[in-house]
Amino acid sequence: MMFLQVWLLPIALLATATILAFPLSRYTAWIMDGKYRPLPVFRWFEKRLDSGPQNWKQYAGSLLLFNTLMFVFSFLVLALQPWMPLNPDGKTLLAPSTIFHSVISFMTNTDLQHYSGEQHLSNFSQIFFGIFNLFFSAAIGFSALSAIIRALRSDSSLGNFFLDMWRVVVYMFVPLAFVIGLIFITQGSPMTLQTSHAVSTLEPGAMGTRDTGEIKKQNIALGPVAAFESIKMLGTNGGGFYGMNSAHPFENPTGLSNFFNTLAMMIFPFALVLMYGRMLGRFKHSLVVFTVMLVLMTGTVVWSICFDTLKPNPGIAGQSTERNYEIPSATSPGKVTVTLPAVASLPVDQHLGNLEGREMRFGTSAGATFAALTTDVTCGAVNAEADSLNPIAALSPMTGMWLNCIFGGKGVGMINMLMFVIIGIFIAGQMVGRTPEYLGKKIGAREVKYAMLAVLVHPVMILMPTGLFAATSWGLQAISNPGAHGLSQILYQFSSASANNGSAFDGLGVTYGFWNAAHPGPSAAAFDIATGLTMVFSRFIPIIAPIALAASLGAKRSSPFGLGTLRDDSFTFGFLLFGTVVIIGALLFLPVAALGPVAEHLGPIPFGG
Amino acid sequence: MFKYLSKSLELLFIGVVICCIVYPGVLWLAGQALFPFQANGSILLGSDGKPVGSKLIAQPFTKDEYFQPRPSAASFDASASASSSLAASNYALRDRVARTLGPIVKYRSGPKGGQLVGPDVETWFQNDIFQAKPRIIAQWADLHSSLAQAWVKADPTHSAYVDHWAKAHPEIVAGWINNNPATPEPKTADLAVLFFENFSNEYPGKFPAAVTRKGADGKQQTILEPVDSGADIQSIFFDMWRQEHPDADLQDVPGDLVTTSGSGLDPHITFENAQYQLERVASKWADDLKRDPAQVRAEIEQILQKNASAPWWGLAGDKFVNVLEVNIELKNRYGTPS
Repeated sequence: MMFLQVWLLPIALLATATILAFPLSRYTAWIMDGKYRPLPVFRWFEKRLDSGPQNWKQYAGSLLLFNTLMFVFSFLVLALQPWMPLNPDGKTLLAPSTIFHSVISFMTNTDLQHYSGEQHLSNFSQIFFGIFNLFFSAAIGFSALSAIIRALRSDSSLGNFFLDMWRVVVYMFVPLAFVIGLIFITQGSPMTLQTSHAVSTLEPGAMGTRDTGEIKKQNIALGPVAAFESIKMLGTNGGGFYGMNSAHPFENPTGLSNFFNTLAMMIFPFALVLMYGRMLGRFKHSLVVFTVMLVLMTGTVVWSICFDTLKPNPGIAGQSTERNYEIPSATSPGKVTVTLPAVASLPVDQHLGNLEGREMRFGTSAGATFAALTTDVTCGAVNAEADSLNPIAALSPMTGMWLNCIFGGKGVGMINMLMFVIIGIFIAGQMVGRTPEYLGKKIGAREVKYAMLAVLVHPVMILMPTGLFAATSWGLQAISNPGAHGLSQILYQFSSASANNGSAFDGLGVTYGFWNAAHPGPSAAAFDIATGLTMVFSRFIPIIAPIALAASLGAKRSSPFGLGTLRDDSFTFGFLLFGTVVIIGALLFLPVAALGPVAEHLGPIPFGG
Repeated sequence: MFKYLSKSLELLFIGVVICCIVYPGVLWLAGQALFPFQANGSILLGSDGKPVGSKLIAQPFTKDEYFQPRPSAASFDASASASSSLAASNYALRDRVARTLGPIVKYRSGPKGGQLVGPDVETWFQNDIFQAKPRIIAQWADLHSSLAQAWVKADPTHSAYVDHWAKAHPEIVAGWINNNPATPEPKTADLAVLFFENFSNEYPGKFPAAVTRKGADGKQQTILEPVDSGADIQSIFFDMWRQEHPDADLQDVPGDLVTTSGSGLDPHITFENAQYQLERVASKWADDLKRDPAQVRAEIEQILQKNASAPWWGLAGDKFVNVLEVNIELKNRYGTPS
């Protein structure tokens, strides 16, 4: 029974998302190829928005221009919060650095939150800043992928950016978000414009009393949660209506809602890989890529379940025997012995695994499963506290962010994987001494440079700021857990920012709060700005460079398929791609993984105090 | 370029209308019309028809007659959800769990099977020897300086007590300033470790804890006094006691009883947790109502069974119960606890 309770949920999720990917990818390809006949009213809008065929520079320019407008609009919404309607509690102005950070964060589909929704945002901001960005930032990556596909198949133009955005938002996101939102309402997600409901608790005075002797009420924050929640998951955004995101009972009320929550963030990333194959006319090739991603994803899910659900929390479980490590001495030749004393166990029944930071209603393995999936598809919602994951289990979400192509975010995940495809083929070509080709086009120096640029931004934008913050008081003032886990907190923050993920080790003190906050996080402003910049670079360089790459590749003449051509739909190719991702994508992060989660896992546990 | 700017503006405008007005508006209408209970926060009413809370949001209970939800890192503030964010390796987590355990853990087997360990922790504490060295409190403060500091900051009476002590011991404060020339005016919490070391010397086998007694004016007042027993000692020093008694066979406590949830508002506890609390709840109600404990226990167990559910009908996880719903039913059936 325990075996079933642990493994049924992840298996059901992976299977359902895979099955749904086939029809959904057919639909998305049909829409993006413009084979549908829109209703007259929609046709009128399409005609208005369509500015004509665009080349890659025009497409990329429109994309950047629209993002600039999104930035301005969102910034205005947050900056004018105190004067806007739907704000009966009088929520005031966020700190300027936090506004800057939040706007970039939502615009780039990251949704890293240095604020807490129910405390800091009015319902007006939640809708016009939040829901707006949830829809449109998700559509950006989707559109970019469509443009890249058209470029790769040597279409006469890359399509039209504004028309693509319209198609994605109106024909895909809005109807699906409505259906999923309705499901969430049936499960218990609020959908109201009220901001809160104060209740007298069942046991009067259990919340304590005020200095005046008045009994405290429980103030229950409400809002248009269901509308927010469904597109937050569908768009792999991940920014919560409430501070604690999908762990909050209103965002995720039941085991069933948790299933749909998790499934909703998986379906588009899954489908877009197959859409890539369908639109290129290379469906078998996309199946191989899909399989590689599925294998990697299964690995991360199994890893986090094995070390979080099937293992107790080590701080509580203790350690029955003394452990000795022999390590090389840093200062003199020879070795030193480090002894970790035995720690008695506390009498706690942990057969359900590590329960710190988990909710009971989702199911036994739901927290660990969600933690792995949310970073694989760069959603960044959480239904359990990532900070409290068992140390070695936290490697799973981190790996998801470091690779950033295990299905990945909407559109951008496939784009990232395409870069690994190019690099993989290039390396294979070098090994056998042939000119590398992809889709019959010769990969030249220019394409490899673009691919390397897109791939290298990611580790640079993670490792450099992590190093900077770990070495200065900016980072040291913010960490809330001692030892190696403190480094993990900083590392996770920048990994999440660079992967445009948005989950976090929440203990890190990055919340400034309102501009007049009495006790802001001491280095919150530094984190706001640093992660804000990280998100911008790690979002747009890996979108623009691949568009340029695809345009350059698509402009080349196709060479005929020969005996020496590497088949892109074979097992060999899948293995090559897997190796490229694991070796090039993950190896860069091995040293820092050893300093963070691995060091924490090896002990001593408990640490500090 | 200008063309693209105007198209961008149009897209932005159309997008705001569709995504921020039409979409949430339609969903709001559907929710309010079809599922008004859920759409407004699943608010439950008490027997008097007044709202007592949300079905989905945990609220605190202090009386033994009620089942208690999981500990909350958000102090059950439903307008500021929060997790503990404590790493598994952080001693603060182990300490918090140990403090919950100390007063409730029982022996599983042996001559004391079924009895609380608390009294044994107190006896061991009064002996004042930890790992063959005297003065437990001094060792505790040395090992866990952050806990000692947290104790000072936890309550204004604590810091007042330490302030009072600091004034009486200027030579110790002077010694601290000598060792820390960068901090010529130490805060009260900075002196925590020295305070406990000195306290341990002056009151071996005792700990400063709040005691309520009649003051000179006849009023009840709470003051700090050196004590050698009580909940503080059972909870704070349970972990140290455990280190010296790793082989004592203790009953396991359900995991969710000592761990905080992700949101701090988890309304559910596992069925095992509810059964663990059942004995306390049932005997308390039986006391209040002067009824047969076995009968009350059977009734309450029935309430639990009736309210139990499981994710995916048990296929994806263990049974759990909603604490607020069970407690509402208890109150409806047995009245307000005295």
